[in-house]
Amino acid sequence: MLKLHSFVRAGSAGKQWSLLRAATGALAALLVIAQAGAVHAAGPSGIPRLASGKPDFSGIWQTTSAADFDLEPHSARKDAPPGAGIVEGNQIPYLPAALEQKKRNFEARTTTDPRLKCWTLGTPRGIYYPEPFQIFQRDRDLTLVFQFGHSVRTINTNGTLHPEVTDNEFWLGDSRGKWEGDTLVVDVKDFNDETWLDRAGNFHSTELHVVERWKFLDANTIDYTATLEDPKVFSRPWNISVILHRHREKNFQLIEDYCYTLDYDQYYPVPHS
Amino acid sequence: MRIQLSLWALAMLPALAIAQSAGAPPPKPSQGEAIRWEKSFPAIESGKWTGKRLSDGQPDVQGNWANTIANQNNWIDPQAGEPGARPPKTARNERAPSRVSDPADGQVPFQPWARTLQQEFFTNFRNPVKPEYIEPFARCAPGGVPKSFTWHGYEIRQYPGYVLFLFNSGTRIVHLDGKPHLPGSIKLWNADSRGHWEGNTLVVDVTNNNAKARLGRSGEFASDNVHIVERYIFDNGGKRYNYVATITDPTVYTQPWTATIPSRRYGLEQGDEPDGWHYEGEIANRPGKPPMDEYYERICVENNGGFGQVATTQAR
Repeated sequence: MLKLHSFVRAGSAGKQWSLLRAATGALAALLVIAQAGAVHAAGPSGIPRLASGKPDFSGIWQTTSAADFDLEPHSARKDAPPGAGIVEGNQIPYLPAALEQKKRNFEARTTTDPRLKCWTLGTPRGIYYPEPFQIFQRDRDLTLVFQFGHSVRTINTNGTLHPEVTDNEFWLGDSRGKWEGDTLVVDVKDFNDETWLDRAGNFHSTELHVVERWKFLDANTIDYTATLEDPKVFSRPWNISVILHRHREKNFQLIEDYCYTLDYDQYYPVPHS
Repeated sequence: MRIQLSLWALAMLPALAIAQSAGAPPPKPSQGEAIRWEKSFPAIESGKWTGKRLSDGQPDVQGNWANTIANQNNWIDPQAGEPGARPPKTARNERAPSRVSDPADGQVPFQPWARTLQQEFFTNFRNPVKPEYIEPFARCAPGGVPKSFTWHGYEIRQYPGYVLFLFNSGTRIVHLDGKPHLPGSIKLWNADSRGHWEGNTLVVDVTNNNAKARLGRSGEFASDNVHIVERYIFDNGGKRYNYVATITDPTVYTQPWTATIPSRRYGLEQGDEPDGWHYEGEIANRPGKPPMDEYYERICVENNGGFGQVATTQAR
């Protein structure tokens, strides 16, 4: 209503110009959405959907938060911008011995963060790591390709269960999703204990169990929350929450980042005469 | 803890010795084993696609695939074993043809300096006294284009605007979305791929190659000027495709040449069983329903191994 009011006050020529600009803007917005692959069958709520009617999270996503530097609230320090943290209640509820381990991790973080070896980031760290990831979605699954390491996580949404074998140790966990209305709820388990949750040394054991909830706030924004429990490390389940933004830059795409190859890149110069 | 033992171990004698001393049974021959030793393969003509389509109109070629003649050991004599291995007992014409289908002599048309370098890589494969003699693949580098198609089986997933290749080592996103190639200064292990469908044929233009991956253990290579046009020609039965790529690189070769890699589909529905090699699927857990395969994560550098082991932790 405010905008319409300003159109009227702008006078006849101004009004036409404003309307033209508004129309152009709407067209541009449509083009952007089309380019981002977001238009399939937009439902009443205006979010992209698959033909099946389920929300379609296809696209390239990234958080703008400082979560990967430290999940907990922290002031600025040499190796991290300040951040209010993404942990509900601010503090991760460590068991006493685990808290001591976390402190040791923190002290050694500039050398022992597995990220520095370019190892697969794990779940949920890959989601809020400051590099984009792309979701490819079919009815049966969502495929997440992370730019970092180009690692691939499949979230199965076809009614299959976690593997019967219970001693699998996946870097990304085993992900089984189901829909609750327009929210994708993903149960993730069968982890190893090699990954960290952030650069501050927050960690977990093989008992980690993550329940993620993926929900559109609007067509270009995902509300991502996760509950983490691990009876060996935490005294109770705890929650994190980040917002993921769709990359809409022109021609934006993932660029492979097999960063572990940089350690030996020098031995393979481009062949020439 | 489960460890997926690959037939890849066959090429790594010390690793095999360890496996045997640990009491692991020798890998049993499977249907996959038999077919990867095909001596010849059918030509597939480019033409109309009459098979299944996806809702966006693409031919539906999703699923598990693998090459049918041999692994990456030797590019021009695929069934001759790796460099330095015992010479094969068969005559050359009793083994699968060179992956170089043009020129007709089956040789990569190297310039003299490049031939010398390739021979250096070949000769030193088994005794890598310099770091550059170690095939980068053995360090978990992505296989690159086109070598990835001669390694383990892989999965194809398709989406509006994309074809996705999930290899044992590395991931490749083929854009069908009409976006332009990346700027030329960006060089990538798996290069930059822009594709479109012409009937039964996926045509992919491949640039931005970092030229670090080699074509095989036999040491063939290109430079970062290489331009590859791939044609994935699918038969309408959906069971096979031939990968036919024109490879142009005036820095390294005397003329453009053509690579051909025959490939077939693997699936439970056609009687295949996952074998950890050509058919890398796992059986999904869905009680009371027919068996279905699914794909686990691939991990390589983290496990300090030479290929994509799954569901294991060996970093400690």
